[in-house]
Amino acid sequence: MKLLTKTSLNFISASVLFFLLGSVGMYFAIRTLMAEDLQNRLFQQQNEFALSAQQTSIQDLATDFLLIEPAKQELSHSFSDTVLIIHGKYVLYKQLTFSFLQQGQYYKVSILQSQSATDLLIMKIAIMNIGFVMLLLLILFFVNRQSIKSALAVFYSTIKKLEHFEVAKAASLTLDTAEVDEVKRLNAVFEQMSEQIRKDFQTQKEYTENVSHELQTPLAVISSKVDELMQADNLNQSQMEQLALLLETTNRLSKINQALIFLTKIDNRFYDQGATLCLNDLIKERIAVFQEAIAEKQINLKLELSDITHLYMDPALAESLLDNLLKNAIIHNKQQGHLHVKLADKSLHITNSGYTLTFDAADVFKRFISSKENKGSLGIGLSVAKSICDLYGFDITYQFQENHIFVIKFI
Amino acid sequence: MPNKTHHILLVEDQLELAKSTLTFLSENGYMATHATDLRSAKAYLQKEQFSAVLLDLGLPDGDGMSLIKSIKKTKEQVGLIIVSARDAISKKVEGLDLGADDYLTKPFFFPELNARLKSVIRRLNLEANKELVLNEITLFPEEMRALVYSNELELTAKEFELLLYFVSNQNRVISKTTLGEFMSSKYIDMGFSNDMVYTHIKNLKKKLTASGCADYIKNIYGVGYKFTV
Repeated sequence: MKLLTKTSLNFISASVLFFLLGSVGMYFAIRTLMAEDLQNRLFQQQNEFALSAQQTSIQDLATDFLLIEPAKQELSHSFSDTVLIIHGKYVLYKQLTFSFLQQGQYYKVSILQSQSATDLLIMKIAIMNIGFVMLLLLILFFVNRQSIKSALAVFYSTIKKLEHFEVAKAASLTLDTAEVDEVKRLNAVFEQMSEQIRKDFQTQKEYTENVSHELQTPLAVISSKVDELMQADNLNQSQMEQLALLLETTNRLSKINQALIFLTKIDNRFYDQGATLCLNDLIKERIAVFQEAIAEKQINLKLELSDITHLYMDPALAESLLDNLLKNAIIHNKQQGHLHVKLADKSLHITNSGYTLTFDAADVFKRFISSKENKGSLGIGLSVAKSICDLYGFDITYQFQENHIFVIKFI
Repeated sequence: MPNKTHHILLVEDQLELAKSTLTFLSENGYMATHATDLRSAKAYLQKEQFSAVLLDLGLPDGDGMSLIKSIKKTKEQVGLIIVSARDAISKKVEGLDLGADDYLTKPFFFPELNARLKSVIRRLNLEANKELVLNEITLFPEEMRALVYSNELELTAKEFELLLYFVSNQNRVISKTTLGEFMSSKYIDMGFSNDMVYTHIKNLKKKLTASGCADYIKNIYGVGYKFTV
């Protein structure tokens, strides 16, 4: 639930509750006041009646709403409610009954006052009350909403900027200047944190690049010196072979170093150049590159690219992913084996013939795991493929069912 | 073989590597000047004419990238090859975008450096001959054509690349690893097995001898090959 919705809901529910309670209380208060007013009016009428009775005969004073009848004895004051039928309508009346003594004769006098007027008044007041309070509530509600909105505007912009913050980007995080102290503090904390993260990221990036540099340069020295040595005329066969081996080993060492640095870079998300790629085209392009190697092993290739699939990826990583999988499927294939590449339902299936694994199938994506027979392989290609898939949230699986089957699900 | 002595500027702060490279360059008929940092490289560039610059990126007084622009702005005819231990794809793209002609990752092999250097100089020197002549062999690198005694020699792309590589690196022991790396960089890193290199060279040799060409490519057992003239 949004902060604004939450505060608005709180405001509305509290307002409605207190408004209801207040209304009920007010209703009873007004009713009591009105009843008292009515009684006072009746008393006033009683006094007026007493004044009038001093001059005229009491009988002449009787009207529809002033009932006079002889009584045997004195009566005490009493109020009562009564209903009269006027023009076929029931009307509620308040009645004050008292006794009056004139010329030795007691009379029972009842003064009636219609309650319908006060009821109407109560109703009018109630309606007005509801109307005004509703209006007030509405105004308050919107004023409150707007003020919260404007107070939190910076907060929302902060959230938006944090969502789009990319540690690999050169620009640092700059948040809007806030008026509210709490948001100001929050922004300050975020800016400090992001700056620290960015610095750490840069340091790490430079570190991996420097490690690469520091390792590759000595390797370059070794291989250049060995190459130089190899050109000497006075070497015997065994010395030449040893030098060739040295060159090969140095080359292998450098390859491992490069592959490890590449893996580290993928894992640390150094590749952030995204582009929308058509996977179908890319597969065709990469297959073409491997065509010769496929022909060399006389592998029967079957391409089945039914669904057009677009992916948003770094082009270099997309290429590396396909190359590693295809290379794996070719290198570990049998002579005159088969290779089936199928793209359907947002998933890529690469199926190839080959020999059963000499290690556990669960370990195929681990680094430096490679079959004993293949000495040339570094055993790192599939872990690179796995890392790339992990980076983009693709699901890559391997299973062996007579053939080696790799499946990538692009979710 | 180079009909004109090319002057190369080597910008490299690693002294041992620079020493080997200089030896290699002079052995191959180049004249080479060595600069250890950006400042001295700039000074040399102002004073002298170079055919090509071999540029390391991580230099003590700054990134070699900054030099690329200034070289390419004033001296278009100078070939520029970045030689760096930084394999980052972005660096490579950035360097080539700035105007570098090629990019070589350390560690590299001298024959590879030589082949690239020759290719860059050939591309930039418009007046120079477009063909390479070696006794009975004539190569047209742009068109990937080869002639033996003026007769067309039918070669696959890979065989042609190999022949060009050998001709560029005459009288030099080239190890199997170096050849494998060359083929991998030219085509794709299939972990180009020694067998594959061997097959291509065997076919190339067969075609050359069939066309009446001398058998220049000598196999050094367990080591590699040597193109002996």
